Amino acid sequence: MSLNNEPIIVAKDLTISYELHRERKKLTALQDINLEVKAGEFVVLVGPSGCGKTSFINAISGLVPKETGSVTVRGEEVTGPGPDRAMVFQDYALLPWRTVESNVRMPFEFQDLGVSEAEKKKRVQECLELVDLDGFEKSFPYELSGGMKQRVGIARALITHPDILLADEPFAAIDAMTREAMQAEMERIVMETGQTCVFITHSIDEAILLGDRVVVISYRPGKVKEIVDINFPRPRMSNSEVKTSREYAQIRDHIWKLVKDEASQTNRGE
Amino acid sequence: MANKGQQNAQVFDTDDPDRIQDIGWTAREVWRRTRGFVVTSINIITFFILWELLTIYGNINPLFLPKASDMFMELWVGLTTRAPEGAVFSGSILDHFLHSFNNLMFGLGIAILIGVPGGLLMGGNKYIEAILSPYVWALASLPRIALVPLFILFLGFTTTMQVTIIVISAVFPIMINAWAGVKTTEKSLLAAARVFGANRRQLYVKVVLPYTLPFIISGIQQGIGRGLIGVVIAELFGGSNGLGYLIQRSADTFNTAMNFAVLLLLIVMSLSLINFTRWLEAYVAPWRSANHL
Ligand SMILES: Nc1ncnc2c1ncn2[C@@H]1O[C@H](COP(=O)(O)OP(=O)(O)OP(=O)(O)O)[C@@H](O)[C@H]1O
Ligand SMILES: [Mg+2]
Repeated sequence: MSLNNEPIIVAKDLTISYELHRERKKLTALQDINLEVKAGEFVVLVGPSGCGKTSFINAISGLVPKETGSVTVRGEEVTGPGPDRAMVFQDYALLPWRTVESNVRMPFEFQDLGVSEAEKKKRVQECLELVDLDGFEKSFPYELSGGMKQRVGIARALITHPDILLADEPFAAIDAMTREAMQAEMERIVMETGQTCVFITHSIDEAILLGDRVVVISYRPGKVKEIVDINFPRPRMSNSEVKTSREYAQIRDHIWKLVKDEASQTNRGE
Repeated sequence: MANKGQQNAQVFDTDDPDRIQDIGWTAREVWRRTRGFVVTSINIITFFILWELLTIYGNINPLFLPKASDMFMELWVGLTTRAPEGAVFSGSILDHFLHSFNNLMFGLGIAILIGVPGGLLMGGNKYIEAILSPYVWALASLPRIALVPLFILFLGFTTTMQVTIIVISAVFPIMINAWAGVKTTEKSLLAAARVFGANRRQLYVKVVLPYTLPFIISGIQQGIGRGLIGVVIAELFGGSNGLGYLIQRSADTFNTAMNFAVLLLLIVMSLSLINFTRWLEAYVAPWRSANHL
């Protein structure tokens, strides 16, 4: 893992708001977010549902316009999507008329990345094996379970070997056993490739096991409540001592309290 | 997968048997797929037999209700004979059927050529939409039959007039459906395509268009229904050709069996075309009907 201290993604005073339908009102989803993600770093966002996590990575991917502030990737202002950033969508977003294989190949089709046809084929196979979907190349998304669709989305995001991976609850629909295996794969990929990753999850264990830093986002307006550094040595997934250590329990408890504070506000606020 | 650390091995086993297997055909499966057809066939055959018995033993005036067998006889004879060369009027159902069918297909073709690009443009460009939509809605909401006298005035009792009426009838459902398809294209699909590098043209060709295709097909399906009404109306009002004309003439000449035969043919034609588009829709967009079983 090449952790030079160069920030690759920088959000400065980022505010995102949405206009509400049929009302002359706007909802501030994120307010004054300041965050620097270093190259090769694994940053995990946690926070209650609706706090603006998806909005944040959509701002990095260039899908939502920012109201004020800025997001830069390698010093350049984000104005739209780019081939250096790939994304795993919370709602899978697979094209229903395409087979699994064709969905996974999609990134190669829309942009010319100078990858040879043979290499594309190889990578499709590799990525499908990685998410354990080899044999389902010719299936259509509607023939797959939710977790399988999600894994197709993961394969699609990994196929171009992007510098930056934006993953929006990529394992949410996957069962505990498969999930653990996928987490291990994720950790391995990030360690091997030095990929930068911004990862959203509702699982605090997942956040601690995968993240170099865990960013807790507060509820309405979404602000950075606290950033927790996680310093366990990698690989963590295969190391059973991590999960049983006292430090792990403390960090887990700390983050849990932070999120719980925010989540309880969601009930009171509405 | 198994080589990536021991603890994963029990989850991802490379040696597991093929998870997708051939299941072959069983008698039960064949029956499950054909039973609808069988039941409907028996139902319809019974219907015609009861009809036949009713007209034989029921002492019913054949002017009101001909024997089913007479109707089928008219249909058979009408479909197997052609008018002699140079005849002024044809008594052959086939001649009139071909006239109507060709007009319908020609008119539908033109309606598709106008309606699909028109609908796509309206969905894709808000200025075109703002300019055209009042006219589209105005014409779409006008009962098409009200336009027939005007077209006869413009074009006379010609095939052009008949085709024009078919086009006017069929074009709006096609256009409006294509338009709605573009408008309702799922946001997350567009987002995904954009993230993975699609430019504007690719968004339209690779996402919006496939998403809209089933909408267009169901527009064509509605267009067929409307177009068929257009065919019959155009021919009833004016002309000496087509199934609509034949309906009129068989009634004028008290040939009820012929009249019924033409009606039956219209039903069969309409249902065949509509079922074809249904099948087409299910074929190109299986995800929309995946839970039909
Ligand atoms: N397209 C939109 N239009 C209007 N409001 C939106 C839109 N997208 C998100 N929001 C609002 O912004 C807020 C943050 O949404 P966001 O999807 O970023 O939350 P999240 O943290 O990803 O939640 P979850 O964990 O449930 O996925 C929500 O309150 C939501 O109502
Ligand atoms: Mg979200």
